[in-house]
Formats: sequence, C-alpha cells, structure tokens
Amino acid sequence: MKEITAKIQETAARLLTEGRVDIFIGWQKGEFGYNTKPFFAHSPEEADKLVFDEYSIHNLSNALLKFRDGHQKIGIVVKGCDSRGIVRLLEDNQFKRERLYIVGVCCPGMKDPLKKMYQDSGFAVQVNGDAELADKCRYCIQPNPVIYDELIGEKREPRLPEDRFKEVKELETKSYDERYQFFEQVLSTCIRCYACRQACVACNCRTCIFDETRPQWVGRETSISDNMMYHLVRAFHMAGRCVECGECERVCPVGIPLMLINRKLIKDVGEFFGPYEAGMEYKEGAKPPLSVYREDDPDDFI
Amino acid sequence: MKVFKRAKLEKVLDKLSASYEVHVPMKRGAQSGFFDYRTYNADFDELVLDVLNVLKPPKEAVFPQTEKMYSFKQEGQDVIIDKVYENEDKRIVFGMRSCDLMAISCLDDVFLTRGYVDTFYKKRRDNTIFVANACYSPGRQCFCDSMGVNPVEPELADVVLREYNEGYVWEIKTEKGEEITALIADLLEEKDVNLPEPKGCTLKVDYEGVDKKLKGMFEHPMWERFSEPCQTCGICTYTCPTCHCFDIQVKAWGEEGYRFRCWDSCMYREYTQMAGGHNPRETAKERFRNRFLHKLEFFNERYGKPLCTGCGRCIFVCPSGVSIVKIIEEIKGA
Repeated sequence: MKEITAKIQETAARLLTEGRVDIFIGWQKGEFGYNTKPFFAHSPEEADKLVFDEYSIHNLSNALLKFRDGHQKIGIVVKGCDSRGIVRLLEDNQFKRERLYIVGVCCPGMKDPLKKMYQDSGFAVQVNGDAELADKCRYCIQPNPVIYDELIGEKREPRLPEDRFKEVKELETKSYDERYQFFEQVLSTCIRCYACRQACVACNCRTCIFDETRPQWVGRETSISDNMMYHLVRAFHMAGRCVECGECERVCPVGIPLMLINRKLIKDVGEFFGPYEAGMEYKEGAKPPLSVYREDDPDDFI
Repeated sequence: MKVFKRAKLEKVLDKLSASYEVHVPMKRGAQSGFFDYRTYNADFDELVLDVLNVLKPPKEAVFPQTEKMYSFKQEGQDVIIDKVYENEDKRIVFGMRSCDLMAISCLDDVFLTRGYVDTFYKKRRDNTIFVANACYSPGRQCFCDSMGVNPVEPELADVVLREYNEGYVWEIKTEKGEEITALIADLLEEKDVNLPEPKGCTLKVDYEGVDKKLKGMFEHPMWERFSEPCQTCGICTYTCPTCHCFDIQVKAWGEEGYRFRCWDSCMYREYTQMAGGHNPRETAKERFRNRFLHKLEFFNERYGKPLCTGCGRCIFVCPSGVSIVKIIEEIKGA
C-alpha cells in the first residue's frame, strides 16, 4: 500500500505540476487513522496528502458529477469497481474521456471505514459481516481497472463467492407473499436520506424523479407505500446500469439490503439480454441493454 | 437514593407501559432507535439501555419524521377541515442521554418560543416525560461537554437514571417525575450506592467565539474545500437530534385528502428549489455552508446556544468522512 501511495502522490504531483490536470481526486487519512476519506488535491503541494490504504473504499467516480458542467481536467484514482463507474459516466454521456486522467489501482479488497466508525462509536449499531473485508468486496468480480491511463500494481483475481446469486436465488424460491413481506419489512425502515442515491454513480440524472415537484411522482412520507415506490423506481433505473460497486448498501444507515435488489437485476438482465455485465469495457457508441429503442422490439411484457 | 436492580428493568418498563407509550432505546434488526416498548419482541429486538446511545435520535417522540396534520374534503364550493391530528398520547422517553435532551431544548426554542407556538409540537411535548440516562463514559466520537452539555446532569429531565454496578439510581427531578415514580414505587428501594466517576469526553473542540467569527466567513474558501467530499445525502440531518427542518405537503384523491409534514433536509436540492426554477443553493458548497452556519452561527445568534449538542452521530455516519469537529477547528484556525 505504501508503494501505491507513493506512486499516486508522484503521479498526482507530476500531473498537477505539468498542468495536465487541475484537480486530482484520491483519498486522505482521517483523524481516527482508519476513516480514510475522499480528497481533492488542487496543487502539487497537496499531492503529499494523498494516500491509498486498506480503507480507500469510496467509489470516487461519483465525485466526477460535481465537475460535469465544468472544463477542469481531472485526475482520479480508481479501483476495479470504481473504473466501471467511469465507464457508466462515459456511456451515459456525463463526462468526456479527454477531461480525465485515470490512475487505475488493482484492488486487494478493502475494509469499510464506515463500519469501523460505527463500531468505534460505542453506539448500539448492528455491524454485520467481516471486519477484515468489506461486504461489497466479498462479491468482487472485477478488482482490476477496466479503463485507465496508468495502472498501478499487479493484476489480481476476482474474489467471488461460489455462487454470486445465491441470496437472489433463495429469494426467488419464496412465495409471492413471503417476498412481499420481506421487502415490506426491510423497506419500512428506510429513512429516505437518499444516501443510496447520492453515493451511486449510476444515479446521474440532473433532476432526479424523486426531486420532481411538478408533478411530484413519489410522496415524501416515510410510509411503506412511498418507501416502496422510491425503491422500486430506483431499482427500475438500475437495471442494466448498476456497476456493482456496492456503495449504496455500504452507506445505508439502516442496513437495507440494496445489493440484493441490484443483484437480482444484474441476474435478470444477464439472463434476458446478456450475457452482459455493466461497465466492463468502454466502447464508444456501444449500446448496452435497455438503452436502445427499436420499433420492432417484441415488448410482449407490456 | 432510590434505586432499582437491573433485573427489574423490564418490570419497570411493563408498569410504565400500562399507562404510557414508553420509548426505549432498542436495536431492531439493522436499526437502532427509540421504539415503543409495547412493540418490543424479545426474538428480534434488544434493549440497549446500557449501551452508549442509539443511531436514530429520540426527537421523533416529539417531532416525528412524518406527521399527519389535518384531513380535508371539498363540499360544493367549500373546503371542510375534517379532522386535526393533534397527538395527545401520553408518553415517556426512557433512557435519553444529555446530548439528546439538550437537543429537545433546542427544538423547544424553535417550536415554542419567539412568538409562535407550534401546536402539533406542543401537544406532543406537553404529554412527554423524559427519563434521562446520565452518561458516565462518553464514546470516542462524543464531544458534548465542548458544546455546553453536561453528560451526567441532563437538562429538562423529569427523572435521571444513573447506572451503577447492580442497576439504576432513580433520581426524581420534577413533578412529572414524581407522577411516574408512583407507578413503579414497589419496584424501587432505598439504598446508598457508589456511582462511577464521570469520564468526560476525550474528543474536545473549542467552540468559544466561533459564532462571532463566522459572521465574517460567508465567503471563506474553506466552504468550497470542505464540501468537496460531501455527497449531499441527508444522513447527517436525519440522524441529528437537533435538525428540525420540515416541509408541509399534501396527498389528495379527488375531493379529499390530507396534509402532513415530514422532515426535510438542507442537504437536498429540492429544499431550496424556487417556483421559478432558480435554486440559491445549487451545489454542495452552499448547502454544506448553510448547514454549518445554521448550527454554529445563526441558531446561536437567535437562541444563545449552538444547534449542535456534540452527540457525534454525524461524524460516524457520514459516508464521506465530514466531521463537524474538524469544521469548528478550521473556523477557529481561519
């Protein structure tokens, strides 16, 4: 990790000095040691603050949305899953490739700083899973960046469980009523903080449907019907677009199993229109499933 | 001292629940918050009175996230208000920490003082009794004693619980406290016990003078820099015990409907969206600045105390690692 940090600092300093980029997005250490957080270096001097450690978990590609209307050239560090986020933005025409300098890091798997912060708070919070490896990394299908200008580290093997869709299949075998009950239970706890949306790189609409007021498509009550509407609509919008970075589930303060929903969509899109994995490669002009309209489409499901 | 043994806790809650809705700190699945003890299910829930605090703040007892206000229907040319939903249920919030009680005192300032009384809040507030839980060992991200809160002497408490090795001291502070004490009198015993030494917070921050200094810092570059990682989600505002912004909305079908209010967050774009399409807080910078200016400057200007009680929730829930302590330090050093 120290070597990776040194290389990132060196690259960032070089790019900022040469004027190749105006801002370099990476991570910096937090005040508790483990709460590594996103950092935006604006000058070669600030490049010294950049780190890459076992807590560099955030998908920084999402931060590019802040700059989509500007002209700044941006350097950014991406892991495997984050790089798929970049592909998402390029495919969605949210960013121009030439504005980016992408430093790819082959990812060894991360720990979750948020989980550690929760644990360390002393508060009564449920922290599931393994402290050594973040939940989202247990399902890693792509540790190596799929798009980059510079690559750091040796390529690594994916760390997939035996069956990536095990939980999805379990849910599929349940009856309609059981499934409804399950979703009713998990979605009733949603506090509508929209952290899942804000952390999501695929949620790049300029005006989100949930922020529309004329008309207001989705009610603002934290009732089961409004909550379900929120999550259903979000699920629809994720189909074929989720790059499986797991940030939504990671940031959810009430532990809603959002990746279970996303994996169901990934499985379905793969089965119906695939094989397809979103954001695995960037081909200019490529049309991923569900992004094209054809008049001769059978659309017999409508 | 009046005390009750730890083994009697559930009996105490049972007795109180016979006459009151008792909100107790619980872990319920992946959530933790104050839930009605009548809904306690030992198979799924865990009482966590002995744990430092819970994620969802107890402000919901007096200021629910979604609150129906009134329903209406149209009759000919007239609109008739059918029903006004003022909640007068008698409730006890059991086991609140000092930080969360100071937060209620902030909500009181907002909803009950300065010439306007919010009747929905007042009805709930008047019918709510606070049983505080003195805090002898604050957590690593707690800094209440830097924000004018005394962790072992909670404000507004009707009763103060003090945990000792065998149970809890029951210290009555007000008449309302006397009333509920009568309900559990047979479970209390007189005993002198040794209380733990208060540890105080390890995380410290110097808030002195920050409000005044902020008056000249609206255009300071720190807002741009510090807001960079902020993703403008609402976790910080919804887990904050003091945040109290709400929106009033309507749901209607045909000729009838109801109005309700629901928490809103200054971190959302929609919050400042103007009718003509303009948004004065378009980006994270403006929203982020507003949040901290409100907490640290404006509220103090109006009510003489900050709108932060040092509970530490926003520090550990922020997915991007934004810390209000860091912000205060930065303001001090600016």
